Amino acid sequence: METVLTETAAPALEHLFRRQAGRMVSHFTRLLGPAYLNLAEDAVQEAMLRALQTWQFAGMPENAVAWLYRTAHNVAIDAIRRNRLFDEKSEGIVAALYRSAATSPTDPDCDEQLRDDELRMIILCCHPALTRSASVALSLKTVGGFSVREIARAFLADETAIAQRLVRAKRQIRESPLNFEMPRAAELQDRLLSVLDVIYFMFNEGYSAHEGKDLIRTDLCMEALRLGRLVASSSMSTPTADALVALIALQAARLRARVDDVGDLVQLESQDRSLWDQKLISMGFHYFDRSMTGDQISEYHVQAAIAATHARALNGRLADWPSILRLYDQLFAINPSPIVVLNRAVAMSKAEGPAAALAAIEGLDRESKLGGYHLLLAVRGHFLEELGRHPEAAACFRAALECPCSEPEQRFLWRKLRGLIGPPPL
Amino acid sequence: MSHFMLLLHENPEMWKSASPEEMQKAIEKYYAWTKLPIVVDSKRLAAEPGKVLRSSGGQTHLSDGPYSETKEVLGGYYTIEAADYQEAIARAMGHPHLEYGGTIEVRETWKPS
Repeated sequence: METVLTETAAPALEHLFRRQAGRMVSHFTRLLGPAYLNLAEDAVQEAMLRALQTWQFAGMPENAVAWLYRTAHNVAIDAIRRNRLFDEKSEGIVAALYRSAATSPTDPDCDEQLRDDELRMIILCCHPALTRSASVALSLKTVGGFSVREIARAFLADETAIAQRLVRAKRQIRESPLNFEMPRAAELQDRLLSVLDVIYFMFNEGYSAHEGKDLIRTDLCMEALRLGRLVASSSMSTPTADALVALIALQAARLRARVDDVGDLVQLESQDRSLWDQKLISMGFHYFDRSMTGDQISEYHVQAAIAATHARALNGRLADWPSILRLYDQLFAINPSPIVVLNRAVAMSKAEGPAAALAAIEGLDRESKLGGYHLLLAVRGHFLEELGRHPEAAACFRAALECPCSEPEQRFLWRKLRGLIGPPPL
Repeated sequence: MSHFMLLLHENPEMWKSASPEEMQKAIEKYYAWTKLPIVVDSKRLAAEPGKVLRSSGGQTHLSDGPYSETKEVLGGYYTIEAADYQEAIARAMGHPHLEYGGTIEVRETWKPS
């Protein structure tokens, strides 16, 4: 019964509260200053609560956004007066709030200001004094409009841990608010790189934690895409930002095809490509073209190029593996990490066969942190299986099953193992 | 058919940790309920505590609410049509208010037999 109701809701209203919460918190944080982030969040939460109490019987009005915006302003002004905040600055801030309340959030000028506020907020959240995981959580909580519970669910993390991470980050901001003002133009490019890093990390968290089909993780990926586009459409954007958006859009396009109806993982080459989101693919190519305007080639550029090569192939077997292998060579030159070596070996097995690929990952388990990593063992097992070395392959899959991995991954490994040694004895 | 009142009591704390997304979903679910054909009337009560009139010794005293010790407040009500209590309760069970931790009091309105 419930699904019917939510499906008929106008698409423009989808995530309306979450989006508006993010916008308004960003807006109030600019007006009140970063040290008053909590006040900004409380005002927005209170406005939403009043909306809930009114609209649960009357339905949502057409001017819902303006209503929320005005109410949150009133709540903030009341709180400042009641609690005598800001001392001598109080009247100035209240006046600024009145001015801002008098504009309509859907007015083009105001809309532009609000986009700018969101951008400032994400820049604030990605301050280098904060850890990356704190930045991700804070971005999702403030500019993203997610709750602590939702963030915890998306990260498969403990709610208290996320709450503490946020409290710590906000305390840091409160204790040295000046550090958290907007960076000067000269520092902006450095900050852009941490912003992109946080957005990429946010996306990967949502993308790689593919247990079950919890929608919140798709939401997390889409939020990373939205923030990426926000940054890429701003004046601080660079071709590197475009490359990141291209990468995220092209990978997000495959989200639906990666898990089948029973929640099992589907490998790239077996994915039903009709499930790939064509809108996201064209968005990805659009940003990919834009990313080609600079003379710098970042890691995001190369990864986007790999994702684009996959997207261009009609099916997994027709993918241009030699090109993909060359791109991995390029990626390795920029970032010689063990994970890149492992992914490069997979491309190599397709382009040059399993023997070369097996040689490429030789020693990786001893020389890197990937020793107890299930994917290294699974990939190694796969190469050995292709070479007909079945007992060794089975040993690899068994060892992989001993490592920490998600349930769908475990089922996948069991399937591989059973394919080699037959069904378990009854 | 008889008329039943569903009195929605709520604890103001119950929305405290709700996310904006959950609040929006809640509005959609509650509002959809007001549109059901069994619903004769539904009203939200204003958030202020209200007034209480009491009479004693020929004098009427006016005071502000609240009039109970509990944290729960009466937030709104519905009048619905149902054949009997059993049906009214079965209907009320599907109300989103319960999902969010609220309380529903079900009362039949009296009619002369």
